[in-house]
Amino acid sequence: MPRFAIWTILGLTLTFLIGPFLIVILAGASAGESLAFPPQGLSLKWYAKVFTVESFRASFALSLFLAVFGTLAALALGIPAAYALHRYDLLGAETIRTIVAAPIIVPGIIVGLALLRYFVVPLDVTITMALFVTHTALVMPYAVRVVSSSLNNLRADMEEAAVILGCTRLQAFTKVVLPNIRGGILAAFILGFIASFNEVPASLFLSGPGVRTLPIDMLSYMEITFDPSVAALSALLAFMSIAIVFIAERLLGFSRYV
Amino acid sequence: MFLNRREGLALALPAALFTFLVFLVPVGLLLSIAFQSESGAWSLEGYIDFFSKPLNQSVFFRTLKLGFLVVVTAAVIGYAAAFCIVNLPTTARGRIFGLVVLPLMISPVARTYAWIVILGRTGIVNDTIVGLGLADTPIRLLFTETAVFIGLLQLFLPLMIISLVSAMENIPEDVIPAARVLGASWFQVFFRIILPLTREGLVIGGTLVFTGALTAYITPAILGGSKVLMLETLLYQQVNVSNDFVSASVIAMILIVMSFSANLLLKRIASVRR
Amino acid sequence: MSDAFVSLADVTLSYGQTVAVPDLNLEIREGELIALLGPSGCGKTTSMRAIAGLLTPVSGKIVIDGVDVTRTPANKRGIGLVFQSYALFPHLNAFENVAFGLRLKKLPNAEIRQRTEVGMATVGLTGFETRKPAEMSGGQQQRLALARSLVMEPKVLLLDEPLSNLDARLRLEMRNELQRVQKDTGITMVFVTHDQSEALALADRIVLMKDGKIEQLGTPAELYAEPRTTFAADFMGFENIFRVEGGTLVSEQGRLSLGFDAQERVLAWRPGGVVVGQGSHTGRVIASSFAGQYRSYVLDCALGQIKADVPIETPEVPIGEEVAFDLPKATARPLAT
Repeated sequence: MPRFAIWTILGLTLTFLIGPFLIVILAGASAGESLAFPPQGLSLKWYAKVFTVESFRASFALSLFLAVFGTLAALALGIPAAYALHRYDLLGAETIRTIVAAPIIVPGIIVGLALLRYFVVPLDVTITMALFVTHTALVMPYAVRVVSSSLNNLRADMEEAAVILGCTRLQAFTKVVLPNIRGGILAAFILGFIASFNEVPASLFLSGPGVRTLPIDMLSYMEITFDPSVAALSALLAFMSIAIVFIAERLLGFSRYV
Repeated sequence: MFLNRREGLALALPAALFTFLVFLVPVGLLLSIAFQSESGAWSLEGYIDFFSKPLNQSVFFRTLKLGFLVVVTAAVIGYAAAFCIVNLPTTARGRIFGLVVLPLMISPVARTYAWIVILGRTGIVNDTIVGLGLADTPIRLLFTETAVFIGLLQLFLPLMIISLVSAMENIPEDVIPAARVLGASWFQVFFRIILPLTREGLVIGGTLVFTGALTAYITPAILGGSKVLMLETLLYQQVNVSNDFVSASVIAMILIVMSFSANLLLKRIASVRR
Repeated sequence: MSDAFVSLADVTLSYGQTVAVPDLNLEIREGELIALLGPSGCGKTTSMRAIAGLLTPVSGKIVIDGVDVTRTPANKRGIGLVFQSYALFPHLNAFENVAFGLRLKKLPNAEIRQRTEVGMATVGLTGFETRKPAEMSGGQQQRLALARSLVMEPKVLLLDEPLSNLDARLRLEMRNELQRVQKDTGITMVFVTHDQSEALALADRIVLMKDGKIEQLGTPAELYAEPRTTFAADFMGFENIFRVEGGTLVSEQGRLSLGFDAQERVLAWRPGGVVVGQGSHTGRVIASSFAGQYRSYVLDCALGQIKADVPIETPEVPIGEEVAFDLPKATARPLAT
């Protein structure tokens, strides 16, 4: 195939995939008052404004909290589960695997609605708590899958060797298993973090006065105001994600785990 | 060693129980709503009611249609792009592949928002059209099926390309030149060699794209609004505007059945190959 | 017995419902080098894992150095085990791999350092301390695994197929190495192998196993010269094995009358024990290959195929020709079953 054809096809595809995003970056850098492209003059005022919007600050904090602690909780539950599914000949292993993977199959919006109706309302749980629980459940499949695949590369006899050299079961896990799946765990954390941070459908019904995740907050802001601040914020968030992935890739060859 | 099942169960159960209680039980309860009549007996009235409304019917078929169109278009573009990517030298291949994966890391809100800038009344496309004198006033591009289609395609195309690239990487090295030497045209090479050998990747990619398009909320919400409803946006509207939980439950069931069958199909085909 | 250092008495081992080793009785003397030999699935690895404590017997008793360790967990048994895959810790460098067990014992740093250095020197890995396992060759990894076990000064060192992952040249080298280490340290070693030449070359005694049971136990010389069963004979290189019925050899293909009286039920010959060029039988050469000191023939005769190794000095018989051969009484090995 001629090089020219190859690069034309790839150029067009990448323009379609990434081009719009470059437009958002520039639209956010507009000096004008309304959203437009090409921007009416360049300025960073909208990028600066993002930081002054009170609701953005609050929802950013909430999203960050959910992404960090929801993912940590998912890992705390998911790592032992992945390990057990690997090393033990469990009765009902397939059932456990299916249950834990279920959140990836069930559309998010249904989850949010179900939790609102049967968890938040009857049990009088706070929205924040419901969001935390939802995000934990949503990240769990990633945690189990990524940790499983790094356990795959770790032979079981490594642990046996550790035990024969004097380790207890727990020591064999902390001294031999954990250090060797560290990369996988970190990868799972990053994937989980990004998935949670960008999550919309499940969080849609789980919002209350003053309690909204950042993407939901952006959606409702867009409905009211048509200024470039959402563009600027979108760009900033994207840079954050890309920076995280880039650093992870540099540090541990992140893409091996995805 | 370590065949102590109780110990293993103790490690696996918290995750399973957690997901079961806070996830499957509420979802199950939600799904059961539509199967109950007002007196509490089992009935299919909710489903019959739902499908008897023309609006619901049209939303249902639109969702299927858009999902299908997005899959087909993604497959066509995906094959072209994936074929180009696997034919690149290793370094370039890694970089381009990285650029394809990159959008997946970006918030769907941000990615969809871009299309407002492009397709809006004062967006690039309309500015160009009006500027060139092709039309006097801006045309409506947002809140159309086309806009939703474009948005969904952009959102999920990377999944198709990734699946197809990994399928194509598994085509044995000299098979395509061998077919060429035996007299196959490029057209024949595609349909007789590439397509059969990447069937599994196509199915995986297709399923991911289809379920993605089916269950996307942001794109139809931003680019379709209330004019171009899809099942997800309809569900949101039924709950938030009409407080109609029966319809919501029906839609939930439809979405779950569709995603589940797609997922099952995927597993079947993947296991047949293995 | 009084001189048993390791003893297994009526040990039954099972995986779930399937019994892998029923009622095993085995005694190993101190300082001995024992080979557990047999095809895969014969229970040799299972038995070794039981000695290590990775598998708890369903019934029976395991005694090591006078102490009943049947219920002692693997980490308290003081046994060394070199895994077939070496099971080195990929996140630790060579030094830390060897020091791993010593650190768990909370020994003073100076002692850990000293013993690790000695251990690495014993296997000739001085200078490789900071290498990660992935940066070492197969042979070096093998030595490292050996050192890691040796520094613990185990009562018994178990080795699972210690040479199977090495190429032919390294295998010979490691054989000598293992023997040297055993001689230097006087440690009791048990190794598992499916390769009879490895067992013959290394072991003081060989435990030949089949279907979870001991088929024959003896010194290499005994097993080599006097296998008792068809299985043992086959494993020791008797490639021509036939039933005897009233002075006639019988196979599935046919019969051939023996030139002598035999009361035994089965007779076996090594290829080297078959005479070609003279004798009362004839066979057609269907394969012939040069093997240095001798030439290997496959003869097709009334009994089916016979393998014969003939000194290279005797004239070559071309493929397809009939040739006289003999299965002499002198080289026949009588077998019980």
